[in-house]
Amino acid sequence: MLLDKQGTATPEDSRTHIRIPFELGEGVERLELRFEYAPKTLDDRERALELLRDSYERYILPEHRERALIRAERHLPLKNLITLSLDDPEGYRGACHRHDPVQELSISREQASPGLIAAELLPGTWSVTLSLHCIVTDTCDYRLRINAFGEAKS
Amino acid sequence: MRWLACELHTHTLHSDGSQTLEELARGAVGLGFDAIALTDHNTMSGLVGKEEIERQTGLRILPGMEWTTFYGHMVTIGLSEYADWRQAERGGIDEGIEDVHRFGGLAGLAHPFRIGSPACTGCFWEYEIGDWNAVDYIEVWSGTSPSIRTDNRRAFELWTDKLNEGYRLAATSGRDWHNQNATDEPISVTYLGIEESQAVEEQEGVGQRSGGAAGREAGLLLPRKVRTESETEALIRALRQGRASVTIGPLLTMTVESGGRSYGIGSAIPAAAEEPISAVSQAAGKSAAESLSDSAADSLRNPPSIRVHLTLDFSVRSGLWSLPEQALRLKLCSERGEERTLEVLTPTPDGRTAERLDGDGDAAALSPVRLAVELPAVSEADPASRSSRRWLRAELWGTARGAYVRIAFTNAIYFDAPEGANC
Ligand SMILES: [Zn+2]
Ligand SMILES: [Zn+2]
Repeated sequence: MLLDKQGTATPEDSRTHIRIPFELGEGVERLELRFEYAPKTLDDRERALELLRDSYERYILPEHRERALIRAERHLPLKNLITLSLDDPEGYRGACHRHDPVQELSISREQASPGLIAAELLPGTWSVTLSLHCIVTDTCDYRLRINAFGEAKS
Repeated sequence: MRWLACELHTHTLHSDGSQTLEELARGAVGLGFDAIALTDHNTMSGLVGKEEIERQTGLRILPGMEWTTFYGHMVTIGLSEYADWRQAERGGIDEGIEDVHRFGGLAGLAHPFRIGSPACTGCFWEYEIGDWNAVDYIEVWSGTSPSIRTDNRRAFELWTDKLNEGYRLAATSGRDWHNQNATDEPISVTYLGIEESQAVEEQEGVGQRSGGAAGREAGLLLPRKVRTESETEALIRALRQGRASVTIGPLLTMTVESGGRSYGIGSAIPAAAEEPISAVSQAAGKSAAESLSDSAADSLRNPPSIRVHLTLDFSVRSGLWSLPEQALRLKLCSERGEERTLEVLTPTPDGRTAERLDGDGDAAALSPVRLAVELPAVSEADPASRSSRRWLRAELWGTARGAYVRIAFTNAIYFDAPEGANC
């Protein structure tokens, strides 16, 4: 395994990026990434409504807040969102901006998971960036594993 | 001018959409669109293979990406390379916009007043913009049934405020289209105007790229190698110049006749063109209509005026939208407020309108409704100031789905300030 990185995020980590560099040697033909985080949803309803009330005060005009509160259900359950983007030694290789809390991704010269860009896997320093758009639960555990495959193993 | 129906905000399964580009393209054609912009979240990988889909469907697909950041979503269109969305700090979006421009793209605020985190992460625009001149457009109508949404009303007001402050920026609609689930809600269209000659040139350019090459080549280096302007590039240029008109129904367009010349949506009228005698007689060359000499003579006696030509085309995307029969209100708006209001009746089922009918005897064809309005060139309240208005747009109001709403609006025509005046 090329990389196995685990961590725990809290609401204070919302709106931050975690950059995770890794080295790629010569002759790698395919990378497989498994990225997961949990929990996905905030199941404490009272806490969720409290967070929503706060955000309505910030984002909704006073005259529309009451109506928004009546319809708050449409925004539940609140979700954690962490997305992954990838960089090779020369630049951006795409992002996987979606809500799935478990993502199994792969990338090679010919093929890539949706969001990533298929192209030569250049040797050198690569990085995964985890973007913590929003953490609503007290803690959120994440884990990133990367495997590299060469000709012999593919 | 040819007006192409565009959907400028879409997603595929390359981000959080649940449709392929091909499904999206076929859906767009089914709804009468001529072009879409693919604006997946933080990736352009979904554009691989777009040339083949364009060939199969006849749809134009503009490259784009929605910067999906912590402090706002920014739609970018027309880029040849990635600009890094991850660098932007709350006060640093100006550098981000600069990067987008450097790569040939346009930057617009997406759904700027949609509720933000945690309900919709980063959806509310919280960036402090240092220079509004750099912003190319605001997506003032987001989603389906856009004109009744309160967050869109705030976006529309933001656009109007910026026009009043003297900025020249475009306004668009974007469905933020994620899937092919059917809807019976009104769908908004942003029409972009391109000149006929550009479209002809483009036919040679289309499909010249070999396509099929995997990776960076196919995904990222899009319009660069095409020498003649393609239709795609012409559309991007139209958006850059604000040659846009937005509607959930009929296509509303406007030209202003001033100083012997005609100015379209998105263009600026030089201050001199509004001067009464000299400018008019100099400019009254080959294109002068006979009414013009009248108005030139007129301006000896009266303050100078401009003539606004409005066209409402009810035949666009025929069968794909409807409005109840009614008297619609057509308004001319500027920083002075609503300057004029006219009534226009919706066409009756046999294709006739109660307003002027420019028909050539073909009763079945729905001919456009054309209206002309005279407006004073300078402030009526203070003619001596010689101060012209800053901008002018047309809006169509009426009842749709039981609510009295904006049904369509043009982008602005601008007026340059007279020399020496502060703007
Ligand atoms: Zn968005
Ligand atoms: Zn979007």
